[in-house]
Amino acid sequence: MTTNQGWKSIGKPEQRIDAVEKAAGTVKYVGDFAVPGMLHAKLVTSTQAHAKILSIHTEEAWKVPGVRAIVTGEMFPYHIGPILADRPPLALEKVRYYGEPIAIVVADHEYQAKQAVQKVQVEYQPLPVVNSVQQAFQTGAPLVHENSGQYMKIISNVYPVPGTNIGSHIKIRKGDFQTAWAGCEETFEATYSFNLTDHVALEPRSTRVEITPSGKVVVHSCTQSPFTIKKVLNQFFNIAVGNIVVHAPLVGGAFGGKGTIQLEPLAYLASKAVGGKLVKLENSREEDLITSPCHIGLQATVSLGATKEGKLVAGKYTFLIDSGAYTDQAAGITRAAALDCTGPYNIPNVWCDSYCMYTNHPFATSFRGYGHPELTFAVERTMDQLAKKLNLDPIQFRLMNTIKPGDTSPTQVLIDSNNIGDATKCIERAKELIAWDQGKRQETAEKKVRSKGISLFWKTSTTATNAQAGVVLTFEADGSVNLNCAAIEVGQGTKTVLAQILAEKLKIDLKDVHVTMELNTQYDPHQWRTVASSTTFLAGRAVLAAAEDAIMQLKKTASIAMQCASEDLDVGGGRVYLKANPEYGVQIKDIALGYKYPNGHTVEGQIIGSGKYVQRHLTPMDEETGFGKPGPWWSVGAQAVEIEWDPADYSYKILKAVTVLDGGTIINPMMATQQMRGGMSLGLSFASSEGFVFDQQGIVQNPQLRTYKIMRFGEQPDEYIVDFIETPNIDGPYGARGIGEYGVIGAAAALANGLSAAAEVELNHLPLLPELIWKAKQGKEVGQ
Amino acid sequence: MIPFDFEYYKPTTAAEAGETYQHLQEQGKTVMYYNGGTEFITLARVNQITADAIIDLKGIPEVRALELQGDLLVIGCSVTLNQIAESPYFPLLAQTVKGIADHTSRNKITIGGNLGSRLAYREGVLPLLLTDCKVKVAGGRSGERVVPLTQVFEKQLNLEPGEFLLQILIDQQYLNLPFVHLKKTKHSKVDYPLVSVAALVKDKAIRMAFSGICEYPFRLGEIEEVVNNTTFARKEQLKQVVAKLPAAIVDDLQGSAGYREFVFRNVLRETIDALEWAQK
Repeated sequence: MTTNQGWKSIGKPEQRIDAVEKAAGTVKYVGDFAVPGMLHAKLVTSTQAHAKILSIHTEEAWKVPGVRAIVTGEMFPYHIGPILADRPPLALEKVRYYGEPIAIVVADHEYQAKQAVQKVQVEYQPLPVVNSVQQAFQTGAPLVHENSGQYMKIISNVYPVPGTNIGSHIKIRKGDFQTAWAGCEETFEATYSFNLTDHVALEPRSTRVEITPSGKVVVHSCTQSPFTIKKVLNQFFNIAVGNIVVHAPLVGGAFGGKGTIQLEPLAYLASKAVGGKLVKLENSREEDLITSPCHIGLQATVSLGATKEGKLVAGKYTFLIDSGAYTDQAAGITRAAALDCTGPYNIPNVWCDSYCMYTNHPFATSFRGYGHPELTFAVERTMDQLAKKLNLDPIQFRLMNTIKPGDTSPTQVLIDSNNIGDATKCIERAKELIAWDQGKRQETAEKKVRSKGISLFWKTSTTATNAQAGVVLTFEADGSVNLNCAAIEVGQGTKTVLAQILAEKLKIDLKDVHVTMELNTQYDPHQWRTVASSTTFLAGRAVLAAAEDAIMQLKKTASIAMQCASEDLDVGGGRVYLKANPEYGVQIKDIALGYKYPNGHTVEGQIIGSGKYVQRHLTPMDEETGFGKPGPWWSVGAQAVEIEWDPADYSYKILKAVTVLDGGTIINPMMATQQMRGGMSLGLSFASSEGFVFDQQGIVQNPQLRTYKIMRFGEQPDEYIVDFIETPNIDGPYGARGIGEYGVIGAAAALANGLSAAAEVELNHLPLLPELIWKAKQGKEVGQ
Repeated sequence: MIPFDFEYYKPTTAAEAGETYQHLQEQGKTVMYYNGGTEFITLARVNQITADAIIDLKGIPEVRALELQGDLLVIGCSVTLNQIAESPYFPLLAQTVKGIADHTSRNKITIGGNLGSRLAYREGVLPLLLTDCKVKVAGGRSGERVVPLTQVFEKQLNLEPGEFLLQILIDQQYLNLPFVHLKKTKHSKVDYPLVSVAALVKDKAIRMAFSGICEYPFRLGEIEEVVNNTTFARKEQLKQVVAKLPAAIVDDLQGSAGYREFVFRNVLRETIDALEWAQK
């Protein structure tokens, strides 16, 4: 019986392996666990956006029954951070944002901790508030950080400018912008903006920490970065790395917000204050919105210059990124926005200044797309407006300028046929799916306006240059395989994808692959964070390496049992068999734990497959020009929307949203389609209705879902249409690149382009509320 | 979670409710009546209200009424918004309450709670203000009393200490008149109103009540005079109505005053256009 036909898993829409438990509601998230004797921690947070802390009085709080400890900033007067160590876990001497943690109360019961928090009295001396990036950027602005020059740099590509509110200044200098700009026949410049927003994942952040009597720190957290928790506790809290164990279960949505480390050190300090007892710290929804980090705000100015035929020659990009009170991952986003600043276009002369700005707003961290939804909004609106000026169709204009093999990126990486998807095919397919040629703007019988908007985008995964993944495979007595890997399941379906890669390689049924859902850093191989659309790529390659290792061991044991050479054998269908005579073979279940001769002697023992994969040839960027190779490849895509706009009251409805993505080989088309739909939903919600509102004192006016509005079920587009172009990547597992973030990236731009066409007014600010369109039509001042 | 301890009482008659209230007050306790509890829970968990004791009104038989009794439609204060939304008796009220919140919340929010809400919108009152309806009030020193709604509702529900709204009594003749309900929001349909209007036509005259445009819900005779003066051009009518608004146009997170006025004019025009056939 032939055994290597019909064992295909790549490209099949297999059901997610976590679907049944999630649908049945039996999945347990970190916060669902209650352990007897567990104590509860609650945070005292700042009611001021910028103020000196004159005193913290805890006497009344201590009178609440059940209170065991109250921790304040002096217990840990140091700064931490993933890129620039500029943030004290608990505010020290002053507060820099509304909602900043000032103290932790630990009590027997959650309600006691909450009562005691109310009774902590903080005396503030208000300081002038830096309430916008424009204000932060002005000379003589109040300083959010007086000593930014003294902060420790954790990575090299961060350049704070002491004496200013610039947390980092990243530069791109490619070609000769000044000369090229002077020679441009046609130019266009505009400024765009939006305020900070939030991830609003279903599961608020939660963690619990205990310190055992022997000094082991045990952390349970809904994190995307279990090994980074170890790194932070080691680097800043002086605990030996080997004495820190992190457990991470399934995560209830993250979108980048759970990639950074904030609650875990606080829970650690809380546990330390009660002699190492288990302490749980969980965010309320309000705390999850503003105390824990959110999504950057932006003001961007984009200037593009072209020949009168429409060939782009020069581009200038100035990004003022609202990072809030601390740089956190916003410093990395500042870099990511710079290195891909042009979008997927060939622009020989590029000048970019990307600034990570301190303000007295809640601080920002990674958000799905990592700088790309933000830069794409600015770039794609500019492309549409320049196309108009050149009298060219917006799609034609883009097609004339898409980046191709032989061109270089802003950081001067050479594009080749392997390291990028096909932008031309993506936009042509999107054009078909949105029926672009059947009219971009039409008035309907009911006096509404139907219009279409399009965007083209790219992204590379700027992982650490030493990012890696590892996989260990063990076999059960029935021949099924356990796949052990430190990828985090945040809802993106990574566990299923990795299982499919393994099933394909071993040529077995998907049901015979058991993937460990939970993670334990003590026995899971080291892995870089589950972020940056890099997990399928890194962990997928590690799966293949581990599978090859296991196959080699299977063949060796089988060769002994079958008394032949390993090289003559093949593996598939749960068997190891002779290539020349496939009927002659052994079942994996009979050799997976070793081979026993008839006389009882046993050889080889169990199969343990191990494999790893580490990024190749990545470099940091040059400080002056940005030259460098920050990522392994680019995925590209095109998105389009069709909207119906009401000119009477300026309200609108999104009828269709299209994504065409080139992410290389698509391992599971059903899950990949869902990823794109979810990304569009997030991007369209962000663009159409989200944004924190600040008063003059920097106080957030809408820190609740009642007033921070996200897209509701029933408000999503009538139709989501998704398609994939599959330009394989030689390095990826079965040719796959990364796709996780991409559904978000072009959504805001497409919506703004479509609405600008409908309303016949240029809409350059988010969110795209009817009032904003009305203001623009009135010619009123719009923006921050 | 609600971080304070409080006592819970569930009386079985209106009189018992009033007595319990008085008794607790005399002990120096802060007391609150409640129905669905959505406001109490959501405000208490963010430390915006506290109470030493709460009295659950849902055990009193009259509060669950939703039926015609002779010439009157009787609605108990604990009837939920969804129960009203799904009932056939008074379509204008059904449509108005449907717009107040999402479906899940409407399973708990009651008409009594909405009228007594601390939030300024109280959209449930708009159709009621158009119907010359009466309300039965209980729990105070005067015991049960029936009064016109307008006597106890001016911007908000103004009752004596210890009193609570027991039932709403609407004369049948108002239930099936030509009507319009329009609600405009910032963007999502589930949100506080920029402008919310309920209107009906009685004896060829349009009656209108508004929420969202000013700080409180209202119905004004002067506005109705303008609206029913068919000699005015529509544009003139809109201009005059805006001039007669009883308070400043709201400027807040939902929308600026300028935009609200724009929306208000549209809503007003649409409402009058939809009902002008019945004025003839």
